[in-house]
Amino acid sequence: MKIINVVKRNIFLDSIQILHISEEVKKLPGVIDAAIVMGTDLNKELLEKEGLLLDEGRKAHPNDIIIAVKIVDESYKDKVLSEIEKMLSVIPKAEETYYSIDDALAVLRDANIAVVSVPGQYARDTVIKLLEKDIHVFLFSDHVPLEHEIELKKMAIEKGLLLMGPEAGTSIINGVGLGFANAVNRGPIGVVAAAGTGLQEFTVLVTLGESGISQAIGVGSRDLSEAVNGLMTLQALTALEEDSETQVIALISKPPALSVQKRIIKYIIEKGRKKYVTCFIGGKEFDVPNSSKGRIIQTFTLHAAALEALRLVSKDLYERAYERFTLSKEEILRIAEKEFNRLDSRQKYIRGLYTGGTFTYEALVLLDFLIGNVYSNTPLKKEFALRNPWRSFKHTIVDLGAEEFTAGRAHPMIDPTIRLQRILDEAKDPEIAVILLDFVLGYGAHHNPATAHVEYIKRAKKIAEEDGRYLVVVAHICGIDKDPQNAAKQEEILKGAGVITLPTNAMAVLVSAIIANRGIANNKLDAFYEYYLARH
Amino acid sequence: MTEKILKLFKSEIKAINIGIDLFYKSLKQQGVRVVHVIWRRPPELEKEIEEILKSIL
Repeated sequence: MKIINVVKRNIFLDSIQILHISEEVKKLPGVIDAAIVMGTDLNKELLEKEGLLLDEGRKAHPNDIIIAVKIVDESYKDKVLSEIEKMLSVIPKAEETYYSIDDALAVLRDANIAVVSVPGQYARDTVIKLLEKDIHVFLFSDHVPLEHEIELKKMAIEKGLLLMGPEAGTSIINGVGLGFANAVNRGPIGVVAAAGTGLQEFTVLVTLGESGISQAIGVGSRDLSEAVNGLMTLQALTALEEDSETQVIALISKPPALSVQKRIIKYIIEKGRKKYVTCFIGGKEFDVPNSSKGRIIQTFTLHAAALEALRLVSKDLYERAYERFTLSKEEILRIAEKEFNRLDSRQKYIRGLYTGGTFTYEALVLLDFLIGNVYSNTPLKKEFALRNPWRSFKHTIVDLGAEEFTAGRAHPMIDPTIRLQRILDEAKDPEIAVILLDFVLGYGAHHNPATAHVEYIKRAKKIAEEDGRYLVVVAHICGIDKDPQNAAKQEEILKGAGVITLPTNAMAVLVSAIIANRGIANNKLDAFYEYYLARH
Repeated sequence: MTEKILKLFKSEIKAINIGIDLFYKSLKQQGVRVVHVIWRRPPELEKEIEEILKSIL
C-alpha cells in the first residue's frame, strides 16, 4: 500500500467538478482511496484524518489542488497519475459553453434569467452587466459585500427586475427550479423566502398537499436585515400581488429585523389584497387589524405554514394534508416510546447533523421550546455556541452547510463526506440517544443521498451495539417522488437501515425530543401542537 | 414597476448560467434552453501598474 500526494497549481475547477473527479479516481484499478481537493486548511485536516496527507500536500495553498491517492502498490502509480492528469485536463464541458457573457448572449439573445455563482467578491460586475441588459438574476454566490448587495438590489428595483440573492439557495420561476429546487407542482401559491431550505420544504409540502406553486422567489438570507431593508422582498410581494396565477402568498424567513418586519407587514396590511401566510420561524406574533384577520395568517414552522397556505386554497386540501403531515399525539408517543424503551440510562442527547440552514434553525427553535439548552455552531444564544464545531456537546444541532465545513468543498447536500464521518464520531459517544438528519432532494443535490448514508448509519448502529447500546436515527426527507432522487425510494432505503422517517422537520424534531427525554408532559405536547403546528 | 417581472412570469425561461456548471446541468435536466459561461478569475495586476492605469484612465 502506498500514498501519493501531488499538488497542482493554476487549475480552475469548481468544487463540484473536483468532487466528481474524486469519485472517478476511486474507481480506477489499483486505487484503494482517493481525494482530490482544494488545498484549504479544512481539506488538509480531513485528508490528515483519513491518513491521506503527506508533506507535499501539507505545503499546498488554498488555491492549489491536492491529489491524494492511496494505491495498492508502486506499480500502479504512473498509470493512476496519468489517468488523473487526463481527467483534470479534459473536464467534460457543457454543450453550449462560452467564455464571456457577451458571446453567450449573442447566441441566446432573448435570455431572460441568469444564474450567477461566481465568487462573491466578483459578483457585482457580472450582475450589473446582466441587469443593464434587462435580465433577471438569480445570485447564488455568498460573500458578496453587503454594500454591493444593496447597490445591486436598488439597481434591479430601478429597472423593475428581480435580483434573487445573493446567498439565494433556491427559486422556482414558471415551474423551473433555479439553484437547489424540487420538482414541485404548479398551482396558486406564491412564495417569497429569505430561507433556502425553508422555501424547499414549503414548496414540497404544498405539492404533497395536492396544490402547487405559482412562483417561488428566494431573496437571499440578508434581505430582511436592517441594512437591506427588505428591498427585494417588497419587490417580489408587489409582483405576486399583481400576478393573476397567484391566489395565496407565503412569506418565509427567520425573524426579520424589527423595523423591516414593520415595513413588510404594513405593506401586506395596507396594500396587500391577496391572502397571506407569514412564517417567521422562531418569531413573535404581530398585530393584525380586524379588517385583515382571516386574510393574514401567522405561523412559526414550515409545517404549519404549508398547512395554512393549503387551507387558504381549500378546506379539503388542508384536511387531507393535515392527516398526511401531522401525526396524532398518540402516534408520536407510540413511535417515540418504542425507541426510548431500547435506550440505556446513559443515553440522553440528541445530535442533529443538518445540511439545510433553515432546517437547522427550525430545529433549534423547536428544541429550545421542547428541551432547552441546545448547543450549535449557529446557536440561538451566544452561550450555546459550540467551542469546536467539529465536536458535539450535550444536545447539539450542527449546520454542516456553514462556512467552517464548506471552505473549498462542495455543500453537504452534494458531498456527504463530512456528515458521514460525523455520524460515526457521534455513535462512539455513550451519551448519545438520537442522531437526527435531514435529506434534501431535488435538482442540484446528491443523486442518491440515502444510499450514500445507509452504510455509515449501519456502521454507527453497530458501533453503539458493540458498546451495548441502541442508537436511534431519525430523519426527514425534503423531497417528492418526481425529484431526480425519488423521495419514496430514498425513504425505503433509509427505513431498510432502521431509520425512522417523519413527514416534516417539525415532526422529526418532536419525535427526537420525546425519545431523548423519555416522554413529554401532556401540557407541553399540547402547547407544541397549538403553537407550532397551527395558525395564529 | 413590475411589468418586466410579470412578463417573465408569462414567458418561457431562457437562461444563461455563469459559474458552477452543476446549475447548467440541472436546468438542462429540466428541459430549459440554457447556455453556460465559464467564469475565470480576472488576472490580478501588480498594484503599481493598477495605480498607474487608474491615474491615466
